[in-house]
Amino acid sequence: MKNILIVDDEQDIVESLKFVLETAGFNCYTAFDGEEGLRLAKEIIPDLIILDVMMPKINGYKISRLLKYDSKYKNIPILMITARSQEEDKLIGEETGADEYITKPFDLDDVLKQVENYLGKQN
Amino acid sequence: MIRIFMISDRNNIIERFGSLCRENSYTFDSSSDIKIITELLEAEIQDIVLIDNESDSFVTKDILKNIKPFCENSILILLAGKKEVDKEIHKSINSIITEDFTDTLVLSVLNINLRAKNSLNKLADTNKDLAASLYRQNTLYGISSQFASSLNRERLIEFMIEGLDKTLSFSLACTLSFCSEEEPVLLLNSLYEISDELLNAIKVRVIYNYNSVFEGQEAPFKLDTDSLKVIKYVKYPANRFNFTLFRFDNMFAAITTGDTFYGCVEVFKENHFSTEDSKCFQTIVQQVSLPLKNAALYQEIIETNKKLERLEKLKSEFISIVSHELRTPLTSIKNSLDILLSGRCGEVTENAEKFLSMAKRNVTRLSGIINDLLDLSKIEAGKMDFQFKPVSVNTVIDYVKSALSGLAKEKSLELATDVNENLPEVMADSQRLEQVLTNLLSNAIKFTPEGKKITIRSELKNASEIKYHPCFEESMKNLIGDYVVVSVEDEGIGIAENEYSHAFDKFAQIENSLSRKAGGTGLGLPIAKQLLEAHNGAIWCDSIINKGSNFHFAIPVETISARQKETLSIS
Repeated sequence: MKNILIVDDEQDIVESLKFVLETAGFNCYTAFDGEEGLRLAKEIIPDLIILDVMMPKINGYKISRLLKYDSKYKNIPILMITARSQEEDKLIGEETGADEYITKPFDLDDVLKQVENYLGKQN
Repeated sequence: MIRIFMISDRNNIIERFGSLCRENSYTFDSSSDIKIITELLEAEIQDIVLIDNESDSFVTKDILKNIKPFCENSILILLAGKKEVDKEIHKSINSIITEDFTDTLVLSVLNINLRAKNSLNKLADTNKDLAASLYRQNTLYGISSQFASSLNRERLIEFMIEGLDKTLSFSLACTLSFCSEEEPVLLLNSLYEISDELLNAIKVRVIYNYNSVFEGQEAPFKLDTDSLKVIKYVKYPANRFNFTLFRFDNMFAAITTGDTFYGCVEVFKENHFSTEDSKCFQTIVQQVSLPLKNAALYQEIIETNKKLERLEKLKSEFISIVSHELRTPLTSIKNSLDILLSGRCGEVTENAEKFLSMAKRNVTRLSGIINDLLDLSKIEAGKMDFQFKPVSVNTVIDYVKSALSGLAKEKSLELATDVNENLPEVMADSQRLEQVLTNLLSNAIKFTPEGKKITIRSELKNASEIKYHPCFEESMKNLIGDYVVVSVEDEGIGIAENEYSHAFDKFAQIENSLSRKAGGTGLGLPIAKQLLEAHNGAIWCDSIINKGSNFHFAIPVETISARQKETLSIS
C-alpha cells in the first residue's frame, strides 16, 4: 500500500483529504504542524507528501527545500497547498522543489487525480 | 578724578607739584621707594606719572623699566634738570618739563597730555565698539546659516542658546522649550552650579513668565514646578551661584511665530546688557522662530508619510489575511460537500442532493466574491503581477469557450465563434485575458434566455476604425495603432444607453435588481476594466434593450517589441 503524508495545520482539510485518499486506497499519515511533518517524513519516508505552505513552526517552503536537498528524500513528490495564487509563490515553490501546486480552495477530485498521476490508481 | 603720581626724593619738588595738583583738584601721591611705587601703581591706574630725573636715590632708567607694566594707560612725564636724558629715556616718556617751568606752563603741559589721552581713550573705545559689533554681525550671520541648516527643532533651540551665549556672554539662560518630542523642557545654560533652592526659584519665575506670555488667557499647557523637566548645562561646576542672581540684569522674550508658541527664553548677566545686546537678543530669538515653524511642518510631513506607509502595510496584510483566513474554512466546507455529494459516505437522496448542491453553489459563489475582492484590491494597490508573454488571442477564446460550454449547455445556449484566423500575437498575461473573457462570457450566459445564441468574435482593427458610445471617450481616446478586438455578443436583456459606463463601476449590479437575481458580485467588469488598462487596452460595450448586448475589449498589437524587451530585461 502506498503511503501519503498530509501536513496541514487545518485539521478539517487534513481530515477531508485523508478521507478521500483512503477511500481511493491510499494509506495516510497526518501531521498538523511543520515540525511534526518534517519528523514524520524522515521517519516513514512516504511515497508522496501533501504540504501546506502557511503553518506554525516550520512553513511548507522550508520543509520542501530541506527534503529536496537531501538525496534520501529528494525523490518524494511534493504537492504544495497554498491559499495564495500569486505567480511569485509558484516561482518560490519551483525553487524549493515542490512538484505540483494546489491553490485553496481546491477540488478534492483534482487532488486525487494529481496523486494518482504520481502513484497510479490503487485497488 | 585725575590721578597724578610723582616719583621723586626731593621734598621741595614734591611739595611744589603736590600743592599745584591739589589746587586743581587732582589727586596727588608720591614716593621714591621702588617697592611702594610698584605696589601703588599696580593697585590704581594713574593718569600721569611724573618722574624726577634729578633724584639721587634711584636711576631713571631702572624706574622706567620697573613701572612699565603698570603704566600702559598712563602718561609718563620727565622732570629734567642737569642730568643727561638719553635716547632710551626719550623713547619711554611722553613729555619733558624742567624745573624752571612756571606753574602755568606745567599745568598746561599736564592738561594737553590729559586731553590727548582722553581723545585716544575715546578712539580706543570706538574701536572696541566697532570690533564688538563686527564680531556680533559675524556671529549673527553664523547663527542664521545654522538656523537654515537644520530641520530638527531641538537642535534649532540649541543653536539659539549657543548664539545668545556667543553674543551676550550671559551668566545664565533659562529656556523653556516646547520643541522636544514629549513635553516641555526647561534648559538651563549656566556659568556656575545652581543650588536646589535657586533652581526652585528659577522654575517659579519661568512658569510665571510663561503664563504672562498669554496675557491672562489660559496657557495651552499646564506647567507646575514639580513635574517640569529640567536639563542643566554648567560651564564651571566648581563655582556656585548665590541668590543674588535675580539682582542681575535680565532680558526676556517669547519664541513664537504669532500663531504658534515654541517657548520662551530669559537671560541673566552680572553686568548690564547694552542696547546693542537687547537688539541682538531680539534678533536671534526672532530668527529662530521661522526655522522652528519649518521644522514643525517638516515633522508633520514625515509623520503623515509614516502613517501612509503604515496604512499601505495594513492594506497588504489585510489582503493576505483575507486570502488565507477566508479561503481555508471555505475549502473545508467545499471539501465536505464534495465528499457527501460524491456518494463516498453512502447514497444521497434526491432532496439531500438538492440542498447539498445549493450549499456548494453558494460556497463557490462566496469564494468567487473573495477572489474578485482580492483581485481588485491587489490591482488598486499595484500589487498584481502580470506575466507578459506573446499570446494568441484565438487560443484564449478556444480555452474559455470549452471551459464554459457546460454552463451554456445547461441553458441550451448556442456558443458560436467568428474569429480572424490571421491575428498577430499580442503581448499579454494569458491567465488575465482568460479571466476577462470568462467574465464576459459567463455574464452573457447569465443574462441570455434559454435557447438563444452567443457569439464570440476576434478582429484586427485600427484604433480609428473602432466605434464606441461617447460615454467611453475618456478611456478610448488614448488608443493609437492596431488592436486585436474581442467581442462577446449575446441576445439577452440588454443595457440602457445611460447605463453603459456604469456597467464598469464597482458593485454596479447592486442597483439593478433584475441582474442581481442572476447572481455575481458586480466586480467582474470593474476588474476586467482594470486588467485591460494594465495591458494598455480598453473595454466598452453597446446594446439594444431586450435584443442583446455586445461587450468588446481591445489589446494593442504594436507595443509587442517594447514590452518584450521590458520583460526580457526583467527576467
